[in-house]
Amino acid sequence: MSAPGTAMDSLSAALKCNIIPNQEYLLQGSVLDQYVEVLLHRLRGLCDNVDSGPESFHDHELCFTLRAGSGSGAPIVLPLRVRRALDVADAPFQLRYVGQQELGDKNRPTVVRSSIDMACSSTIVEFLTELGCRLDFEYIARGYMFRKGRMKITVSKIFKVAGNKPVETVEPISQSYLVELSVLAPSGQDAIGEDMRIFAEQLRPLVQLEKIDYKRLGSMM
Amino acid sequence: MGVTILTQFPTENRTGPHTIDVLSKRIMALGALQQGQFLVDCETYTSVPQLGPQRTVHVLHNSEQPATVFSLLETGTKTIPLATDGLFDLLMMKMSSFYTSKKQTKAESKGPRYEIGDFCVKLGTVTVSSNFKGILVEVEYRPCVVPAMCWDLLKEFLQGFLGLSGPTNPPAYLQNRMQEIYSPIDTIHQYLEHFTIFRKSPGIGMRA
Repeated sequence: MSAPGTAMDSLSAALKCNIIPNQEYLLQGSVLDQYVEVLLHRLRGLCDNVDSGPESFHDHELCFTLRAGSGSGAPIVLPLRVRRALDVADAPFQLRYVGQQELGDKNRPTVVRSSIDMACSSTIVEFLTELGCRLDFEYIARGYMFRKGRMKITVSKIFKVAGNKPVETVEPISQSYLVELSVLAPSGQDAIGEDMRIFAEQLRPLVQLEKIDYKRLGSMM
Repeated sequence: MGVTILTQFPTENRTGPHTIDVLSKRIMALGALQQGQFLVDCETYTSVPQLGPQRTVHVLHNSEQPATVFSLLETGTKTIPLATDGLFDLLMMKMSSFYTSKKQTKAESKGPRYEIGDFCVKLGTVTVSSNFKGILVEVEYRPCVVPAMCWDLLKEFLQGFLGLSGPTNPPAYLQNRMQEIYSPIDTIHQYLEHFTIFRKSPGIGMRA
């Protein structure tokens, strides 16, 4: 009987075969509150989960960063996000690393960024805090999730979380819904970007899904 | 998943493989059947000075829970456990500018795994950065999840095939958790305790 290989061996094998979904392809947009029903109706018609209807979610997301000053120049920053379901009591927490978006080709139809996504135990918040992470901001997202093949479409309302206020009293951040179209896939599967572009076309003009450049957004504010 | 007790078995003047051989003959004589091999490993990372007070992250894998990565964060005042999917290892690589591993400290325990009735027995050869350090015997009593309710039974079973080297008291880590529900992270805690002792011990582990 052969001995079990180490976990690191199987991880490097998985990395070598490129089967780890560590790239996120993303398009984002928004829709005003008064038109969200129309969009949901359209998505119900276009997406796979027709019979069961869309899946609803109600999540609390905490965004942390781990930072350390390097000897020279800008500090090294590692962003980490924790998501927990408020509507499913025993669901595992999700831990997620999201990298900088790849500059790459300007003609690429979607944002591409590295992503490591995993389920974890509820000790994660304390673990990250003690690890040296800083809580930058947090919010509550509530909405619907649709699927189309391996594409995921979420329509979510974002709420402010202020201190220790109870979850029921949170205020919406704006009068619109955030719409995201994303796929998590192993690197190099750029064909998916084209599928996403075509799908996004079908949602126009209700919602305009685009590559959002956060750096530019930051300087606009 | 039941309650697991981890105990060190002294090698005395025997070699590691010889000790495993003696123990496996004993357990087979009791009617155990070998069911594959097992492996528990541990890598330790320490924070870089820029992050402030030093903290240590121990990342462990157990072949009994192959899809899980266990981490224990030691801050000096407390230990925070974390269980995640396998991709946590990938995240530790991303953290290499914050937490670095000392390659000389990679510890593992591996060897044959036996099943005998309600018990699962594992005979582990412990190495720290490939140097032989000693023998760890793991016994799990699977029908029960509260240590206090099966400790006496486990003690008797352990003494039955380890003789006088069997433990007389529950492991230190379990002593104030005897009434709680046992979970896989508790086994990880016990392994880390032993690995820490083995890392500090100079040659092969001769401690009782």
